[in-house]
This record gives sequence, C-alpha cells and structure tokens, in this order.
Amino acid sequence: MRLLGFITVVLLGGLLFHLSLDFPDLGDASSPAATHVSPYYIEHTMEDTSVPNIVTAVLADYRGYDTLFETAVIFSAGLACFFLMRISERTAPKARFYRHLPTGLTLRIEKGGKIPEDTREFERIDSVWVPYDVIITMTCRLVVPFIQLFALYVIAHGHHSPGGGFQGGVIFGAAIILYAISNNLRRTLRRMSERMSALFGSVGVIIYGGTGMLCLLLGAGFLDYRGMASLLGVDPVSARSYSILIVETGVGLAVTAVMVWIYYNLSSAGKQDEGL
Amino acid sequence: MKEQLPALIVAVPLLAALLVTALWWFDRRLCFPIAIAAVGASLAAAVTLLLRVLSEGAVDYYLGGWPPPVGIAYRIDHLNGLIAVAVSLVSFLNLAACRTVAEQEFREKTGAFYALYLLFTTGLLGILITGDAFNLYVLLEISSLTGYALLGLGPGRAFLSGLNYVFMGTVGASLYLLGIGYLYVITGSLNMADIAAILPSLLPSNLVIMAFVLCLTGLFVKMALLPLHGWLPNAYTYAPSMVSSLIAPLTTKVMIYVMIRITLSVFSFDFAFDETLLRLPILWLAILAITIGSLMALSQRRLKKMLSYIVVAEVGYMVGGFWLGNRSGMSGAVLHIINDAFMTLCVFLAAGAIAFKAEDDRLRNLTGLFRTMPATMAALVVGALSLIGIPPTCGFFSKWYLISGGIEAGQYGFVAALIFSSLVNGILFFRVFEICYFEPTSPPHAYRYRRTVPAAGTGAVTEAPADLLTVLIATAVLLIVLGLYSGEIVTRVIHLALPPGLS
Repeated sequence: MRLLGFITVVLLGGLLFHLSLDFPDLGDASSPAATHVSPYYIEHTMEDTSVPNIVTAVLADYRGYDTLFETAVIFSAGLACFFLMRISERTAPKARFYRHLPTGLTLRIEKGGKIPEDTREFERIDSVWVPYDVIITMTCRLVVPFIQLFALYVIAHGHHSPGGGFQGGVIFGAAIILYAISNNLRRTLRRMSERMSALFGSVGVIIYGGTGMLCLLLGAGFLDYRGMASLLGVDPVSARSYSILIVETGVGLAVTAVMVWIYYNLSSAGKQDEGL
Repeated sequence: MKEQLPALIVAVPLLAALLVTALWWFDRRLCFPIAIAAVGASLAAAVTLLLRVLSEGAVDYYLGGWPPPVGIAYRIDHLNGLIAVAVSLVSFLNLAACRTVAEQEFREKTGAFYALYLLFTTGLLGILITGDAFNLYVLLEISSLTGYALLGLGPGRAFLSGLNYVFMGTVGASLYLLGIGYLYVITGSLNMADIAAILPSLLPSNLVIMAFVLCLTGLFVKMALLPLHGWLPNAYTYAPSMVSSLIAPLTTKVMIYVMIRITLSVFSFDFAFDETLLRLPILWLAILAITIGSLMALSQRRLKKMLSYIVVAEVGYMVGGFWLGNRSGMSGAVLHIINDAFMTLCVFLAAGAIAFKAEDDRLRNLTGLFRTMPATMAALVVGALSLIGIPPTCGFFSKWYLISGGIEAGQYGFVAALIFSSLVNGILFFRVFEICYFEPTSPPHAYRYRRTVPAAGTGAVTEAPADLLTVLIATAVLLIVLGLYSGEIVTRVIHLALPPGLS
C-alpha cells in the first residue's frame, strides 16, 4: 500500500513537473499574467489612489475585500485556538513558588501553606525551574520598545516601502511574545490581559470592516473608500490613500492581538497560568 | 440601500461575529440576540436579492467600486441566489434552535461559539455569491477554519477526527488554490467571467485541463466524494450536536455548488463535458459513492454515524446528477442541493435532540423514544421519509428528476444505484423506528450506558427543549412545503440557472 502511494505521488508529481514546462518563463514580459491586469495597476495606481507602493494599493484597495477576509481568517485562527484550548477550571497546584525580588531567592510553598504577606517583595513564578537571569530579562526589556517602534514604522510606512499591517503587526506581536518568553506569562498577562488581546483582535477587524461599512453608509459601495472623502475632508483620491492607512492600522492591531492571544493559549495549554 | 444588498449579505454577519467576540467580555446576554439578528438580516437580504434576480436578471456588485478584472465582483444569478436563500435559512433555523443546547454544551465559551458560527455562515454565503475565483478561496478558508474549530470541541474522539479533517481539508483547499494558480498563469485574470472569456482562445491546452482537474480534485476532497470521504463520518459523528446540524447540511452542498459554478461559469459546459474525458469516470465515482455510502450506513450502530454515511451517499446523488449533463439530471442535482440541505438539517437536529436528552445515540439504546419524545420522533419520521423519497416530501421530487435524467442519458447504473440507495435508506430508518417504537424499554439496561442521569431530574428522557423542538417541527413542515412547490422552483428558478440549449 505504501509502495502504491509512493508510485502515485511520483507519477502525479512528474505530471505536474512536466506540465510546468508549458508555463511562460519566469519574468516573461509577454506572459498573460504580465499583460492582462498588471499593466493597469502599474499605470493607474498613482492617479487612482495616490499610493506610491503598488503592492499596498492592490492589497488594500483594488483587492481590499480579499484582505479584509484574510484579516478575518487570522482572527478566526485566534478564536479557534481559544475555543478549542482554553480551560477555565482551575485546580490548585501541589506547590507554589515565589521569588524574593531583592535577593533573587526562591521560596517553595506546599499546598495549604501560607503565601508571603508582602507581595511587592515576592513574585509568584512558574513551577518549572526558571533561572533568575538578569542579563536576558534586562536585554529583552531594553530591546522591546525599539522593536515596537520599528513595528509602528513598518505599519505606517506601508504606503512607500515594503511593509504594512500584516508585517508590522507580526513584529509588534513578536515583541510582546519576546517579553513573555524572557519574563514569564503571568507578568505579561498583567500588562496585556487575555480580555484585552481578544478585544484588540476584534476591534482591529472591526476597524477594517467598519471602514467598509462606513463607506457604504456614506453612499459609496462597500469598501469604496471614495465615500470617506466627505468625512475626511479631502478629495476622493486622497481619501483612498488615507483609508488605506486606517485599514492597515486595523490589520496591524488585529494581527498583534491575535498573535499574542494564540501564544497565551498555546504556551500554557489553555490554562493561562504559566508556560515557557 | 437596495443596491448594497450583495455586500450586506456577507458584511453583516462578519461584523456581528466581531461584535459578539468583543461584547462577550462585557455582557454575555447580548451575544445571542446579535447573532440571530445578523443571520436574520442575511436571510432577508438573500430573499430580496433572489426576488430581484427573478424579476430583473443577474445582479452585479463591484467591491470597492473597481470593475472586474481589476477589482473583485459579486455576481448573483438564479443558481447562487436560490442556494444563498437555502443556506442562510438553514443557518438561521439552526441558530434559532441551538441556544439551550449550546449554552449547556459550551458554557463559558458560548460567545466564541456564536462568533465562529457567524464567521462560518459568512464564509459560506461569500463563497456562494462571489464572482472571483480567488476571493472564493479566501472565503473557503474562513468557513473551513471555523468549521474545524467547531467540529473539534465535541466529546470523545472529536479532537482526533477534527485534526484528520484539518489535514484532508487543507490538502483539498490547496489543490483548489493550485488550480486557480494555473488559471492565473494561463489567463492573467482571477475574475470568473473574465477567465471564461479568455479560455476558449487558448484551447486545446493541457494546462487548462490540468487546472480543471486540480480544482475538481480539491473540491472532491472538500465535498467528500467517495474515495476522498475519509474525514467526514467521524468528524460529523463526534461533533457537538448543534454543530453537526449546521455543518452537515451546508458544507458538502456549498462545495457541490462550487463544482457546478467552476464547471459552468469558468470552464464552459462544452469544455467540461466534451473536451475532457472526465464525464464517465466522475459519474462512476458518484455511483460508487452512492452504493458504498449506503452500505456503510447499513453497518453502523450509532445514529449520527449512520446519518453521516447517508450524507456521503447523497453527495454521490448530486455529483452524479450534475455529470449526467442533461437538463433533468442537472435540475435534479440543483434541486437536491436545496432539498438535501433541509432534509439533513431535519434529521441531524432530531439526532441532536436525542443525543442531548438521551445522552446516547447507539441504536440499540434508543428504545421507547416514541413514547418519551413523540414530537422529535415525528419530525425524524418526516425527515426519514424525505431521505427515502416518499411522495409528499421534497426528497421524492429531486430523486424523480435525477432518475429521469439518468434514464434520458442512458446511464442505467446511476439509476440502479439511486433506487438501491433509496431501498437501503428505507431499511435503515425502519430499523430505527422499529427499535424506537416496538422494542421493550428496559431501564436498567439502558441506564448502564448513560454517563449521567438525564437533566430532567426524574431520571426519564423527556421531550427536547422548546426552541429546538419548534425549529425541528418547522423544518419538518418545510420539507413537505418544499415538496409541494418543487415544480415551481424548478421551472421558475433552476431552469433559468442552467446553460441554455441543454437537452
């Protein structure tokens, strides 16, 4: 049976390979893909949308409807992880661990034992051994703001250079995940709770879909950014450009929040107490 | 506002899903009303659109104001207008039915359930009305992803069967995407009508045939046509009951619609039926699906698994009917998409009610159900009669078209498979009825297989929750109403959806 499967795969793969010889050459200027729709984008993007980056214009305006749903796909992924993995019933662990912050000493408290009173000096830590590593914690802490700043640049600069909401959102989310890995999940959850990540995730997609809906309510079609012209107080072409920035911001917010949300659920197997 | 209906069908449930997720963290009571209002709005928009299509012809809508092929276009004609009404109605009915059960099954995750439910519906409706081959893939992703999540949260082996579905479904969707990629390389366009206009000038071409085969194979995985059906029975059996009654009626039917759409509107009828040699092999696959699906259903001991195998056989009906390539066969296939959606909804809702109240769906433990849940069983009887194909119910009429199409095309193997499958369905359901009606109830024996004592407190199985029961009975009545009006549906809608000049 395994041999039969192997032979089928080889035959079909060979067929696909053979047929790909009929494809136009890579970068062939006379291929259908390069002559049918692409010239329109290349020639008209600037006058249609006043966005210098053609990729951004195609992504967020010409085919912006696909991108709305791609963002919704990412949101669905976060929601699916939550739906399948989240466990809310808590069972008391056998032992709890506290770190005395000034000295770095670790305290182990058995079930039923008393918790240190001054919680400002003690911090609860994960039950798997976590070294008190000042270098890693401090380095990551110093790096995180710069990563976040760069992420904002990538989101905002999608008009002119490679970048945009998806890439910037991933970088921003990665910064928060870096913080979670170098510190711990509890501390990160205090900074950005699960509720906050779920809310930001949905708000991000609502910004995108809501912009579309707003255009519709203002008299243009769904996602026809020209409708935003009167609201933004600019001409229709600039309205497209500004609206692209708005939806890119929404995408960035959604991607950031969903990445963090998925990390919370995956790293702690849905318990969201400790992990990694 | 009337011009904007095509966008609203999809945008309203999408935004409602996001709103439900956000509001769940503040006020949990708001979620269900928002969800049902959104699906209701979609249903209303779909009905209005169908009426408009009937009076004025196909409706186009350009998203973002960009005309195709530069932008994405929606195109609603008789075919997808009709199916969109059916899909939104099934989704609406099931949502109206599911509140009590869902709140007990999902507890603190009910908000996420409603949000995923809405996203799933959004995805399917988007697949139906889009006129863009790539946009279809994006929405396919949404509906698959949410479908995996919903199916995975059942009891027992649901996680594993859901994972299996993830693998198979991803392969299927990737094959479809590869096919679209081929088409883009050949034509440089993603809009269906535009591709259809370019393709004839490129024929004959091996690449076009390969693109067609890749798309079809991907869709066959997604619709679970027989050799590729492995994911379906377990995924539907172990799913939460209110999820299987949503996904079982809709996913496979929408995928069959996509097959019809791709075949007729992207590649042409002449290309698909005359220039490729696919017609007979697919027809024989369908015959195999009907026969083996029915036989497998016969060997099951659990109600939901038996119904899942009937779904596998029904896929064969529609695929076979379409690939007969004549007017009766295709009409039968499209009519059966509508009818089968409601029949499957009816029987899966009844099975869900039984699983919820009796907490067991093994056939031998279903004794005495006609006494304890009379209304649920009455609805199940109507659904079963429709699946068998007894005249006043709608199942008879689509089967009639399919069989006469088979005879006209001279495909007696297909006719024989249909009749065989109807007989097997008869045996299947009358076996269930016999157990439920005549077998003596022996409480100690039945109790041994229950995990807990039923919720009623008295220890006895009682009638299904009121909301579920109301919808169930409404669906059963709908099956008969659809049957009575099937002539109207065929002559006024479906015949206009098929390519003109079909024999």
